[in-house]
Amino acid sequence: MMSNQRKRLNGEREEDDEEDAEGIGEWERAYVDDRSWEALQEDESGLLRPIDNSAIYHAQYRRRLRILSAAAAGTRIQKGLIRYLYIVIDFSRAAAETDFRPSRMAIMAKHVEAFIREFFDQNPLSQIGLVSIKNGVAHTLTDLGGSPESHIQALMGKLEALGDSSLQNALELVHEHLNQVPSYGHREVLILYSALCTCDPGDIMETIQKCKKSKLRCSVIGLSAEMFICKHLCQETGGLYSVAVDEVHLKDLLLEHAPPPPAIAEFAVANLIKMGFPQRAAEGSMAICSCHKDVKIGAGYTCPRCKARVCELPTECTICGLTLVSSPHLARSYHHLFPIAPFDEVPTLSSLNDSRRKLGKCCFGCQQSLLGAGNKQGACVTCRNCKHYFCLDCDIYIHESLHNCPGCESIRRPKSVSLMEE
Amino acid sequence: MIFKIEDVTVYFPYENIYPEQYEYMVELKRSLDAKGHCLLEMPTGTGKTIALLSLITSYRLSRPDSPIKLVYCTRTVHEMEKTLAELKLLHEYQVRHLGSQAKILAIGLSSRKNLCVNPKVLAAENRDSVDAACRKRTASWVRALSAENPNVELCDYFENYEKAAENALLPPGVYTLEDLRTFGKNRGWCPYFLARHMVQFANVIVYSYQYLLDPKVAGIISKELQKETVVVFDEAHNIDNVCIEALSVSVRRVTLEGANRNLNKIRQEIDRFKATDAGRLRAEYNRLVEGLALRGDLSGTDQWLANPALPHDILKEAVPGNIRRAEHFVHVLRRLLQYLGGRLDTDNVEKESPVSFVSSLNSQAGIEQKTLKFCYDRLQSLMLTLEITDTDDFLPIQTVCDFATLVGTYARGFSIIIEPYDERMPHIPDPILQLSCHDASLAIKPVFDRFQSVVITSGTLSPIDLYPRLLSFNPVVSRSFKMSMTRDCICPMVLTRGSDQLPVSTKFDMRSDPGVVRNYGKFLVEMVSIVPDGVVCFFVSYSYMDGIIATWNETGILKEIMQQKLVFIETQDVVETTLALDNYRRACDCGRGAVFFSVAR
Repeated sequence: MMSNQRKRLNGEREEDDEEDAEGIGEWERAYVDDRSWEALQEDESGLLRPIDNSAIYHAQYRRRLRILSAAAAGTRIQKGLIRYLYIVIDFSRAAAETDFRPSRMAIMAKHVEAFIREFFDQNPLSQIGLVSIKNGVAHTLTDLGGSPESHIQALMGKLEALGDSSLQNALELVHEHLNQVPSYGHREVLILYSALCTCDPGDIMETIQKCKKSKLRCSVIGLSAEMFICKHLCQETGGLYSVAVDEVHLKDLLLEHAPPPPAIAEFAVANLIKMGFPQRAAEGSMAICSCHKDVKIGAGYTCPRCKARVCELPTECTICGLTLVSSPHLARSYHHLFPIAPFDEVPTLSSLNDSRRKLGKCCFGCQQSLLGAGNKQGACVTCRNCKHYFCLDCDIYIHESLHNCPGCESIRRPKSVSLMEE
Repeated sequence: MIFKIEDVTVYFPYENIYPEQYEYMVELKRSLDAKGHCLLEMPTGTGKTIALLSLITSYRLSRPDSPIKLVYCTRTVHEMEKTLAELKLLHEYQVRHLGSQAKILAIGLSSRKNLCVNPKVLAAENRDSVDAACRKRTASWVRALSAENPNVELCDYFENYEKAAENALLPPGVYTLEDLRTFGKNRGWCPYFLARHMVQFANVIVYSYQYLLDPKVAGIISKELQKETVVVFDEAHNIDNVCIEALSVSVRRVTLEGANRNLNKIRQEIDRFKATDAGRLRAEYNRLVEGLALRGDLSGTDQWLANPALPHDILKEAVPGNIRRAEHFVHVLRRLLQYLGGRLDTDNVEKESPVSFVSSLNSQAGIEQKTLKFCYDRLQSLMLTLEITDTDDFLPIQTVCDFATLVGTYARGFSIIIEPYDERMPHIPDPILQLSCHDASLAIKPVFDRFQSVVITSGTLSPIDLYPRLLSFNPVVSRSFKMSMTRDCICPMVLTRGSDQLPVSTKFDMRSDPGVVRNYGKFLVEMVSIVPDGVVCFFVSYSYMDGIIATWNETGILKEIMQQKLVFIETQDVVETTLALDNYRRACDCGRGAVFFSVAR
């Protein structure tokens, strides 16, 4: 135990020395603004009272939700569910700066990985491609595709920063690729820009106009400072421009782009899109897989049009180009179009005496008691339609992950009851 | 937009208004109601001009039975054009909403050089020669002569204008200098004299400060303005300098030599007249005896410049006997020139009050103070009698008479300074005798007394309580307004030490210190690598900028800067600088980033 302790102490000291040598360590920086120890309180017996973060967390969440619903204001906004997104990452020499620990490109790569997973989670019908800018030239890391693993592998493979950055070259490359995309797809570009300037071979304003004409929606997340050209690009094409101040902020900004954005009015034309819903192949069947070009046994799907075998869904059939999806994928995209209405807050003092309401003392979702300290009613929310009560955690879970209100789903419809009775 | 401030409906030609513009208009309206003067400071770029114009015109529209005139004074011709352009916009808006009752006549007035349309007169190089060429064609004796002698050249535009007499009117509207010239050319009338004539009928007049503050010019142009006038001095932070310069005169050796030449010419003319037409000189003498210093009611074209002293300081007496005869006057002037030449011949800097100067002039040259006071008027009268039209040649003697009149009239608030060496070339003797006015309130006092409301406004009037004391007047309103901005734009920072803890400064003795140069260079490199888009770097002077950039080039700092951003430098050539500025803007807009080295003047 002593040796363990000593080893641990040594390890820590080495770490400290390493970080001290580089100035204020990251660990210190995290505490400069947020002195969480000052928020600690003691109760009567001198024991520490646990910090109640949840109230703050919930307040933030409610505020965000209110802003979003105020923006929506009851109208149904048409959103692009089939998105073709190119992520452009700037690997110029500015990406090797160490103001984000351990370096900007490492942080970018880490969060882009998380973003790619989240993106495919929320938009199963969409596709992503990766482009990098190195030495003033834009390279395609991966083409548009629907499998997260291939993108992440390609990204993590090459992490080096050198040379200048050129916004125009990246936009030209992306424009070329996205022009081949079918017209029902929404074309988007997300640029992670860490340089402070752009060395372009021609007139970038022309390129911006070209992108605008091709309905490309360009958004930029900057890592150094706000640049006029990025602001102009985003304003012209209808995208979002934001600059990250630290790692947490960068993650939030990236994840903001995961849910589908509102479609641009004149460009969103209603179309019928042909899609295939393949059957899962039988366990013992043998076939040549079209994505691996190898014989595979068992698990796979058959394209309904050309009968080729594909390994996973959603994907595009390599032989006939049909989009292959399964119904849960569509269902997962459904909630973007019909979002669940935010729950109303219940004023804390009134309803305990109100016997008419089905108060119950438990949250309908998790069955935990709604009463807070001292038998007073804690903070809770209520659904407008089914009038059930939910606690704060269930509220967050319902709105962020579940996308269905359990109370509304469990209302028994009188029609079906009568049918059953009959 | 149209809104009400108390009882006045204000017509504002734009959709949106800044809060500070609104407050400015409220304060302005209060001071107009109180019929008093005001001092208003509002930062540049917040729309002061349109706020002033729209409130004053709307005020006039709301009180149709007591119409007020607006006299808007600007510093430069360019500002005058800008003001008239804004007024045009405002006028269109008001006419659209109110119909023809909102029509006004607004003119801009400037010198002959800017308004003349006669190509032969315009061919002269500078303002004074244009004036002289004009006089050659429009002086009353020249026109009288041309009736007999058809070879004498006249100005057609002026002749047509004179023929039209009362019908020579401008229809209502807003006229910039360009518009006046076009109108004049189309109708065949002289725009300059037409504009001068229309000053009495116009609702809004825009001209430069001199036309109201400098007694020499104001006496001719602005003498018919009535009391119900609002005078606005825009960009008036240097108004005390303008007032002081209006009453200051300086005399150099070259002036004295020119004056001597002029006197010789005058002498020749007098002799010629004595031989041919002695009657004219005698008529002048009689007139002077009867106590009329000037030839009564002069026609507008003959009056060249008015008396340099302020109107109420001009003695309304008979010209003293010792200068009534032309030859005696010329003798007096020669003695004066000799005395001045003697005074200039000194090796030390001398300072004197006017009183002691006049008394020493009296004891050495035998010229009395009263004689000095009338020098200017006497010269004017003499030149008219001798029918001299080359007024630009006679500027030196006019300067000397200016000097003499002012020295004779004022005992306080002035001083005479004689410097043997010019400050630009400290080793070459170039003596200069200056009559400097100290009191800025002297020139502007008649304006404050004469007009109902004077508005002094600028972007930088701080400290604002200095101005009432400087110009000795009592404002009813004295306020400063702030500019409202959508976000924080300014972060002031003073750098006293470089990153190696050496003190840095642009003091003259520290400029060539290599440590200071290196520290500034390193600082600039760091700024350039952090700040996006553009950086502007101001230096103290061109020589300093050249020196420091050369040093940075040698030590490689300039190369580091160029790796991050493009570098543009301002030079003394206007064309080059405009190009550099234009490219700097383009570089910032397209994302390449640029640094602009410039000089803060």
